[in-house]
Amino acid sequence: MTNSKKKSRKDLGYHPKMGTQVKDVVLKPDAPSTLLLEKHADYIAAYGSKKDDYEYTLSEYLRMSGIYWGLTVMDLMGQLPRMNREEITAFITACQHDCGGISASIGHDPHLLYTLSAVQILSLYDDLSVIDVHKVVEYVKGLQQEDGSFAGDKWGEIDTRFSFCAVATLALLGKLDAINLDKAVEFVLSCMNFDGGFGCRPGSESHAGQIYCCTGFLSITGQLHQVSADLLGWWLCERQLPSGGLNGRPEKLPDVCYSWWVLASLKIIGRIHWIDKNKLRSFILACQDEETGGFADRPGDMVDPFHTLFGIAGLSLLGDEEIKAVNPVFCMPEDVLQRLGLHPELLS
Amino acid sequence: MRVYPVPTLLHESDTSWFQSALKVITMHGRVKLKSTAQQEEEKRKEREKKLKIYVAARDACFSKRKEGIMDIEALQLTQQLLSSNPDFATLWNYRREILLHQETVLSEEEVQKLYEDELVFLEGCLKVNPKSYGSWHHRGWVLSRIPRPDWNRELGLCDRCLGLDDRNFHCWDYRRMVVKLSGVPVEQELQFTDRLIGSNFSNYSSWHYRSTLLPLLHPHSPEPPFPLRNARSSSPSSPQMHSHRVCEEQLLKEYELVQNAFFTDPNDQSAWFYYRWLLGRAEREEMISCVYVSREGERVIVAFSRPVNAQAVGLLLVVDGQPLQVDWRSVHPRFRHCPVWICELPPGTISDASNEHNLTVHWTERHTHRDCALYTGRSESWCRDSATDQELFRSELSVEKSSVLQSELQSCTQLLELEPQNKWCVLTIVLLMRALDPLGYEKETLAHFETLKEVDSMRSSYYSDLCSKFMIENTILKMEYAEVRVFSLSGKKLTTLCHLDQLLLVTHINLSSNKLQTLPPQFAMLQCLEVLEADDNAIETLPGLYHLPRLEEVSLRNNQISRLSDLKPLSSCPKLTRLDLRGNPVTQTANLQSELAELLPSVTDLLL
Ligand SMILES: [Zn+2]
Repeated sequence: MTNSKKKSRKDLGYHPKMGTQVKDVVLKPDAPSTLLLEKHADYIAAYGSKKDDYEYTLSEYLRMSGIYWGLTVMDLMGQLPRMNREEITAFITACQHDCGGISASIGHDPHLLYTLSAVQILSLYDDLSVIDVHKVVEYVKGLQQEDGSFAGDKWGEIDTRFSFCAVATLALLGKLDAINLDKAVEFVLSCMNFDGGFGCRPGSESHAGQIYCCTGFLSITGQLHQVSADLLGWWLCERQLPSGGLNGRPEKLPDVCYSWWVLASLKIIGRIHWIDKNKLRSFILACQDEETGGFADRPGDMVDPFHTLFGIAGLSLLGDEEIKAVNPVFCMPEDVLQRLGLHPELLS
Repeated sequence: MRVYPVPTLLHESDTSWFQSALKVITMHGRVKLKSTAQQEEEKRKEREKKLKIYVAARDACFSKRKEGIMDIEALQLTQQLLSSNPDFATLWNYRREILLHQETVLSEEEVQKLYEDELVFLEGCLKVNPKSYGSWHHRGWVLSRIPRPDWNRELGLCDRCLGLDDRNFHCWDYRRMVVKLSGVPVEQELQFTDRLIGSNFSNYSSWHYRSTLLPLLHPHSPEPPFPLRNARSSSPSSPQMHSHRVCEEQLLKEYELVQNAFFTDPNDQSAWFYYRWLLGRAEREEMISCVYVSREGERVIVAFSRPVNAQAVGLLLVVDGQPLQVDWRSVHPRFRHCPVWICELPPGTISDASNEHNLTVHWTERHTHRDCALYTGRSESWCRDSATDQELFRSELSVEKSSVLQSELQSCTQLLELEPQNKWCVLTIVLLMRALDPLGYEKETLAHFETLKEVDSMRSSYYSDLCSKFMIENTILKMEYAEVRVFSLSGKKLTTLCHLDQLLLVTHINLSSNKLQTLPPQFAMLQCLEVLEADDNAIETLPGLYHLPRLEEVSLRNNQISRLSDLKPLSSCPKLTRLDLRGNPVTQTANLQSELAELLPSVTDLLL
């Protein structure tokens, strides 16, 4: 290819789209800028009491995770005693099936997602005796496939999320050696992409949520040296938008839950300082609802427990001293992991 | 028919990620609206009504299932619920149980019809909620059961779905599954991405797909990478081994395509990410890069080209033809995987200076080894790979002909004239300069980094760290040329340290006048270090000054060390005699002198 040919193409080629729009939001000047801890605690405490609410009922297919979000955020705010421990542990016992797996609600089918949530809750409460731990281990073990991957349940959906659920559950139970770890690691690494990120399955596009699962997985299994930390860190810090918020993939809107998925991943690979912490903090705070308490995905939207946990957990990772320190791998209070003697690897 | 409508909560961003589509409990993208008391009351009543209907249907489903009923009516009931709440996973499971049962009682034609109806139903679900994990997974399951799958119809569905949202990763994944099962040729899929990228350059998903297709279609080398064939179950192969390499001819075409993209929309990040990948494909060979032996210390140190767990990779040390039983430890207890490993030799093995010794370290898993001879009278010896020294860091970037890269650099420089604030362009120029001549372009590179920190201040720490890395690489290159063991990095605005495994043989290092906050655990890889100067930084902690057997002098003037406990790692360095702590907050500590005398008894020359 000659230079002159290149040049002519170049002259033809430069047609910039005028004012390429960055998908983002603008923070209003009157948006909340201080942390409304008490309001958030009241919001979560009241959430579970609306049991015959339509929307609450509709969400029963993920109830176990909902409880985990609520309890974790309460614990991070030092308010765990306000939740009804007896009711919750009895509920979890009732959700364990003969196969060992745990379901989201009574009458629903067991799944790795809810098995992890249940084990996380019981770890918070230091009360694993209310379930048959041995059967949980057998259940998780039984879902590992030939190629090292994990199915979410017996219906065979494969996803790196489930690899994370499996090792996180087993690590909390102190039974990581129950599965074929080398194969499990091999599968997760086969989901690594050109940008250093990870997707659901081999060949799937990188996504901040999956990256959290895969870096968390590699941390638990002690394999973080396999990550291209500089390349992945660059992709992750490019998730920060001018508003300060983080998105989950290129050209998407910012969302408070990504302040967790992206930030935790950056923390795990030792690159959390690559984003602008003050701007992110302002964005997260602006997503609070001053009237009802709780956090929304974006300023002005409806709040929910999911974004409330990840808003608070994100602020904790940013070093907020009013909140307990959160562990970036398990999304649980550090003191709980200390008690369990778990120290998942982090890069420096 | 949607009997139980749920507010449709569609939104732009990637929401509803972890626990399937969390569209109900998590109010993704739902704008909060003010409403009057009367409106509230009406809404409440409406909800109450819906709740009753919903609960009745759910309970009917559950009780039918409990009774083991697998009839068509149950299919209809679950259909009603799932069409409004496709994340109710248990109902999909029930549906599959019914369908499996029906397979056993119906004729093949009837089964075909049953599954075709299922696909129609699913298409409706996906129209309402195109990001439901449950619906996509169920569709894949149906395709695995239906007697005569119509793959074209599935590809058509993907086309339509991607036409509505070309970033829907569920649909992309589904497409990949269909392509695989139906044997669509890779060429055809590459053309598909050509088409999508042609209509809209700003499509990260398409570029990503390309990055997975190209290595299949235009592999760099037909032979599978050597380590893959020898992969043992005890060591998962590294990601670099899932080779992403592309042959050179195709690479040139890619440069052209991607340039068209960023000249059309210089602010679209997709093309730039892809371009950086194209530039950085070369992989480093796995090997033992250095073997070092110290007669006095009676120890052997081995450096690898990537972090390994030496205790698990089958490392074998042979001294004068005799295999020795030794314990390998990494340079710092924090590392289970590390590029540098140490072993102590049995006393007397090599201590007599009048003897010559020949050492070999075998990396049995990789079928590779490195020899090292310790001659008579010598106190130390090493053998390292000099062939890779020059290409050490450039190889990370490119193996392409420099003329091509030169013309790429020209193009980007032209673009920068048109778009002087474009950070993507500036960063790419820096990368191209490094690929071409890292030392020759050092001055320009530094200037470009200043620009980057200015125009993209949110990520200034990233640029500082990257610049530090490049400066360290340049200094290592210069050191290689000079063949010295003195390493000076003073006044380089360093914010981080890296490539420390390359400094295994360094005896003197000067890190003064930088912006370092710590000497990280990796610093313990400088196993030959005797003198450390790190004045005028912002160092708070010293975890890396750990078991450095030859370290004698440490100067840490004007840093931020504030606690006595932060100096504790130094107590593991047996030869430390001189320590300068002037200008650190810790010097204000009461009884410091006596505390230090206890902590560091070997230090005779203490400056506070
Ligand atoms: Zn969200």
